[in-house]
This record gives sequence, C-alpha cells and structure tokens, in this order.
Amino acid sequence: MTDPQAKPAIEFENVSVTMGGVRILEGATAEVPKGSTTALIGPNGAGKTTLLMTILGQIPFEGTVRLSDGPSGAAPRIGYVPQRLDFDRGTPITVMEAMLMGLQRRPLWLGMSKQYRDEAHAVLAEVQADRLANRRLGVLSGGELQRVLLALAVQQKPDILLLDEPASGVDVAGGDLLCELLEALHDRHHFTQVMVNHDMSNVLAHASHVICLNRRVIACGPVASTLSDEVLARTFGIHLGLVDVSTCRINPHEPPVRPSGGKEAR
Amino acid sequence: MMDLSPLYDAIAKLVPLDCMKYEFAPRAMVALVLLAPMCAAMGVQVVNFRMAFFSDAISHSAFTGVAIGLILGTSQHLTMVALAVLIGLGIAGVSRRTSLSTDTVIGVFFSAAVAFGLAVVSRDRSVARDVQRYLLGDILTISDAEVVALGTLFVALMAFQAFGYNRLLYTGLNASLASAHRIRVRGYQYVFAAILSLVVIFSVWSVGVLLVTALLIVPAAAARNFANSAGGMFWWAVGVGLASAVAGLLISLQPWADTAAGATVVLVACALFAISAVVSFFRRQRG
Repeated sequence: MTDPQAKPAIEFENVSVTMGGVRILEGATAEVPKGSTTALIGPNGAGKTTLLMTILGQIPFEGTVRLSDGPSGAAPRIGYVPQRLDFDRGTPITVMEAMLMGLQRRPLWLGMSKQYRDEAHAVLAEVQADRLANRRLGVLSGGELQRVLLALAVQQKPDILLLDEPASGVDVAGGDLLCELLEALHDRHHFTQVMVNHDMSNVLAHASHVICLNRRVIACGPVASTLSDEVLARTFGIHLGLVDVSTCRINPHEPPVRPSGGKEAR
Repeated sequence: MMDLSPLYDAIAKLVPLDCMKYEFAPRAMVALVLLAPMCAAMGVQVVNFRMAFFSDAISHSAFTGVAIGLILGTSQHLTMVALAVLIGLGIAGVSRRTSLSTDTVIGVFFSAAVAFGLAVVSRDRSVARDVQRYLLGDILTISDAEVVALGTLFVALMAFQAFGYNRLLYTGLNASLASAHRIRVRGYQYVFAAILSLVVIFSVWSVGVLLVTALLIVPAAAARNFANSAGGMFWWAVGVGLASAVAGLLISLQPWADTAAGATVVLVACALFAISAVVSFFRRQRG
C-alpha cells in the first residue's frame, strides 16, 4: 500500500538517454511512490524499457535516478522480469537448477542443497509453478517461462520489482493469471512494482500510479486523476478514444485519489 | 624441479600396453588427462556463452606470441601465455564498451593477432618451423615443467569452476538478468576470459592451433546431448573429454594407427558426439 508521506521508492530527475546518436529519453522527471504498482505507458519507442534500464544501471544516462534505501538501510533489492528471456533453449537446465544458480554457491554438479530446494519450491508455489521444478527451462511455454522468471525475481526478496511487459507473448489466460499472481504477490510482499505495460485495460485494472512517456514524461501520478483524454492523446500522439477513463477501476487497495492528484508535465 | 617419474611409472603399470614403456607416453597421458577435463569444463561455458570464435582467436595468437618472443629474445612460451591473456581480456573489455557485436570484436583481434604473427614469420623463414610446431602441436614432446604448469592450472581452474559454475550459468543464460539479480557479471566475465585464454594457449602446445577449439567444443556439445541437467552437463563433458584423451592417445600410439595424438583425441571425441546425437534423436522421438 502506498504511503503519501513516505519518500518515493524511485525518483527520476532530468534523466536523458542517448544511444547511437538518437535521443531516446529527454529530461524525464517522475516519481514512483513506495509500495505502489506503477505502470510505464507510452507508444513503441517512447523510452519505457530504457527508463527501466536506468533503474538497473545497465545503460549510461544523464541526470539522476535515486532509489530509496531498503528496510535495513542498505541499497534496495531489485527483482527484474524481462520482456522475454533471450536464451539458448537447447541448454540442459532444469527450472529448479535455474532457481538455485543465483542462491547456492556449491556448484550444481555437486548436487543441490535441500534447504535451497525447499526455499525455491516455496517461491515456485507462489507463482503456481512448483510442478515445473524438474522440467527443462527450454521446453516451457511462454506463460510458464514468465512465471518462472517472476519466481526468480521474487526469490530476490525485492524491495522494487521491475517488469518489462511480462505478459507479452503470453496468451490471454496466461496474461490474466500473471496479473492475478502479481497482485497477490504485491499484497503479500509489499514491494514497489514498476511495470512497462502496453495493455491499457490491464493498467486501469491493476496499477495505482502511472508514468506516461513519449520520450519525455507527459504526466505522472495516480491513475484515475492522471489518465485524461488529453494526456492519452499527448502520450500516444492521437486521441486514443478506446478507453473511457471515467469508468476505470482503481486498485481497491489504494486510498481514494484526489481529482487533481496527477502531475502533468508541460 | 619436481620429480614426476614415480607418477609416470604408476601410469605405465596401470595401463599395461607396450606403447606405455617409453617415458614420453605416460607423460603425455598425464598431460592429456589434465588438459582434457579442463577444456571440457570450460567448454560447457564456451558453448553456453557461444564463444567458440573466442578460443579460435586466442589459439591463433600463438603465432604472434612466438614472433614477439623471438623479437624480444625471451621465452616463447612466456610471451605466448602473456599475449593470450592480454588478448582474452582485451576482447572481454572492448566487447563490453562497444556497440559492435562480440563476434566482430573477436574478428578484429583475431585478424590483428594472425597478421602480426605472419608478418614477422614472413621476414624470418627460420621462425616458420617454430610456427608449424604450434599449428599441429605435439603432446609427445611435452616437458615435465609443462606438466607441472598444467597441474597448477588444473587446480586453479577447478577451484574457479567450483566457486563460479552456478553464477557463470546464470550469466550465460542471460547476462542482463543475472546482473539485475546481483551477480557480478563483469568480474566473472573477465576472470573467465583470462582462464579460458590460459587453457587455450596450453592446449596449443599439446594439440595445435587447429584443434584447440575442437577440444573445447566437442565434449561440451556431446554433453548437451547426453545430459538432462546443468549439473549433469558438467560431468558428461568431463567424462567425454577424459575418455577421448585416454582412448585417443592409446590409439595414436598403436603401430597400426601411428597417427598424431591430438588429431586422434579429437576424432574419438567426434565419434562420441555422433553417438550423443543418436541418443538425443531417440530421446526426442520418445518425447
């Protein structure tokens, strides 16, 4: 649950990214409230994934990205679910081995520790993937693989969970299941969730906050007060006309939002 | 220098074949039994990282290593090792800092290494004989000092594999994900590149520039077909590497074969790979 008084989990201050001579992000300034489910929306090429990468520190950028400390005062722990895992599907690695490769120091060729296996089973059960433990990673369907990736991220005990279009390449049922799992995980673990999302119905149903991007931050704030027709038009370049923001369902766990709560960038 | 003759005697007794009567044979056996599992173990990651071309570039740097040794008037082995590690780390460093694909970066280093070596060789014909030695390699002429060096590298490499196997697996699966999940990807990549460079250049002395990559790739490729898990893949690769080394050396020493040891080792490994491909095919058929 978000606390309006708390320091934001993530603050972007004048963040710009140039790659190969092309300006991908221009002076992005926005906040992600602690405990929120924040959606990054915008058209293709708007810089959504790039903004996510600045949080991970995996690309060079100008400006500042501030992450607030975790509960222990140390740097926050981050869990990351990529859009799709680009890996060699022929690699003989089981789901359980994938779960343990970041946990266990003893090499997998000397066996798997029972303690870590039990821990991994528990996390896999949370994403309804425990029956996949002995399957090879390369034979999983798109939805199953995304759930395993989610388990890998949750296993990090993250303070901040970053998801890059986790439901892309997954069928509708798989996408719905993923969203339900995310909501349940968010309620249980209270992490701050930042998700790149193309699916507006999904954003309206599950996100509490939104950052509208089109190379610049067009607007950011609570979903209900931020997603106006005008903001959507400026974000996507046309009048979207497909979403009636007045009927959007606000995340029931969020406090009521003020009509003028959103910050619109001019 | 450590006296290794008791070890060679023990091996000669363990393998009671005529060909093991000569001291060079047990010495070559020890060297191959050390080298093959090292190559196989590193090969698992070379296959996962898709780095076959990397080992080619390092092995071909042997020519330049020999050339620099001659120019400086120092030990050729020393310059070969130093240059191999330098090129390995150079490739790893430049790949991280450029938008060029890793293949392209390796290609540039590869070309420079070969061209420099050939340029020096072309000026001095007497060097050509040395270069040819490394092109084909000769495990039978390996010295005790080189066996000790191989043993030292074996211990260091297995310690690194025991410490880093799981994290290297994570990095090979997806470096970006591994890095996000607090794996020190950069550190592992540099140490891996340095150790792989050492293994490759040691292998050049034994099996020659042309066959080094085979020693790395073929056991690991067979292991991918045989294994059902990442842990199993390691043992299958080491097993195939060891079996190929022992069988290949013994076959090459038989009067009816009388073939180059390195080439015979690789041929046995390729035969094991063919068997693994059949096993994999039938496994897939069964679903």
